[in-house]
Amino acid sequence: MEEKKKKQKQNHVIEFEYCKVCKLNHNLGRKHKYLPNHIKSLSSFLSRFNNKLSDIRFFIKNPTVIRLEHASRNRLWCVFCDSEIHELNSLFACSNAINHLASPEHLKNLKDFMWKNGGAMDLVDSYRVSESDLSKWEKRCRMLENSDPLANGGACGPLLGPSKDIHNQLISDTKNNLEIYSFNSSNSNSFVPLQSSTHERQQEFPREVHGIAAVGSFLCDSFLPAAGGHSYSYAHGMHGMGEIITYSQDYTDKQHGFLASSGASSVDCSPSNKATWKLKLLNDCGVYQVGRLCNGGSSKQASQSSTQSLPLLPQVSKDNVHTGAPPPWFDTVEEIQLHDITAGVSENGLAPSSRKSVKSQKLNPKRVGAAWAERRKLELEMEKRGEIVNNFDADWLPNFGRVWQSGSRNESRKEFQMEKQKLPEVDSGPDVPIVIQPYVSKRMRKDIAENKDAVET
Amino acid sequence: MSYLLTTLTKKREVDSIIRDTIDKVLVLRFGKASDAKCLQLDDILAKSAREVSKFCTIALVDTEAEEIQVYVKYFDITLVPSTIFFYNAHHMKMDSGTADHTKWIGEFHRKQDFIDVVEAIFRGAMKGKLIVSCPLPPERIPRFQLLFKDV
Repeated sequence: MEEKKKKQKQNHVIEFEYCKVCKLNHNLGRKHKYLPNHIKSLSSFLSRFNNKLSDIRFFIKNPTVIRLEHASRNRLWCVFCDSEIHELNSLFACSNAINHLASPEHLKNLKDFMWKNGGAMDLVDSYRVSESDLSKWEKRCRMLENSDPLANGGACGPLLGPSKDIHNQLISDTKNNLEIYSFNSSNSNSFVPLQSSTHERQQEFPREVHGIAAVGSFLCDSFLPAAGGHSYSYAHGMHGMGEIITYSQDYTDKQHGFLASSGASSVDCSPSNKATWKLKLLNDCGVYQVGRLCNGGSSKQASQSSTQSLPLLPQVSKDNVHTGAPPPWFDTVEEIQLHDITAGVSENGLAPSSRKSVKSQKLNPKRVGAAWAERRKLELEMEKRGEIVNNFDADWLPNFGRVWQSGSRNESRKEFQMEKQKLPEVDSGPDVPIVIQPYVSKRMRKDIAENKDAVET
Repeated sequence: MSYLLTTLTKKREVDSIIRDTIDKVLVLRFGKASDAKCLQLDDILAKSAREVSKFCTIALVDTEAEEIQVYVKYFDITLVPSTIFFYNAHHMKMDSGTADHTKWIGEFHRKQDFIDVVEAIFRGAMKGKLIVSCPLPPERIPRFQLLFKDV
């Protein structure tokens, strides 16, 4: 019997399992999740997924219609459910992902994951979409569907109607479409006739090609530079992924006619509305872009949106090539370099701390305040990652042995706090503000209580 | 000298510097910039700050600031300049043959004296000692008299 038990025990010990957070096989069982390495990789694992979710959060707040061409790119790997969420049949960006994140299965898997890997249960809400958010998003989508003529099936095929009466089209309606059309690269020629009829210069927005496969297939002559305008193209590598951004810009005319490159819809901004509209667009994209740049453009959606909003930035400066302003890509390249540097710093930010922990292992474990130092270090790291906020008590006092104090140092703190309590009592004893409450008759209260009872029974 | 070293005027700042200095000796000089003795000490601190920077952080605390009065009371600061040592948010005492072990009162005679004191505290703290004895000869320890409280 004993042998059997031993064997069982051995079997229990030998059982290996794979930890997807640490990406290693271990035979520690439940103990594993308390290892410092696991805790560290768990927090980076979660923060990575959080970055992806921040994209989706953006789309929850600003629902956008998605083009069929981009639906295949717009997908999410849910790390908790181990499933890929496609957007092939969805009208709005990330709609399947949002529905998935709000689903009870996701919540169940998420809780399972947290239980298994030792995540804090109060973080659960940050990795899912709450029902109220979902309903709000659905409402916004419905609004968009109703207000947007293009969303009602026009997202796929070209619409000739709206492109003709561009002057009458509402600016706010098309704002969201622009974002989508701006990265459509299929047919750029269709807007040329329009240019001649309106005599307006156009600003063609980025028609960029993503992905490694696209590097070779990039063709300069695939777009038409506007008449009298200048077209710039540049390529830059970003995180090892070939990414080519092309855009043609024309600043020569004061009136910026803004054309979506697909020609399915084209928009004209009247001078009065233009400024506000631009600001809006810049706000929408710019803020988002800043958020993304810090994250290093990890997901595909991010690369879409960041490239989409990059060429918007040069619009702010009114100078053009004729007035001797630096070419617009100088700004963007600098920005990208800056962002690379900051991303590098943030990525390397963990390295010194890990080095430090190696160093601290050499320190005497019995040194003064060793436990405090370890705890505080973890806290500081968490604070750096933004997981917890540095919120210590305003009355916090350090450990201190006072001059006239005999006994332990904690006693001196207690003594001081006693002294402190005594002093204000003497000073502000009579100044305690009296809270005046309205008189509520006992009979009324009784009635209410009886009513309640009646309802309950 | 207050522009050479960080000067703290708020309780929260003092709190956070005590909490965030990890595995280093924290030297807090309580005093005021208008005092001549304080300036003398500040000069020595500022000059040696770089040399001890690997194991020590130095900050000045303005005792005249209103928010600091809590600490002035808690640390029993009656004479300026007073220098208090912390390690991992734990108070470090030093037995220098004077009445007050909890802090260093007065200035240091030279830079090396300060460095020696900080080093003694760091070494003691690394061995887990909450009180160390002063490495300086008694003639270079400033003398003062402490009156008993509530007497």
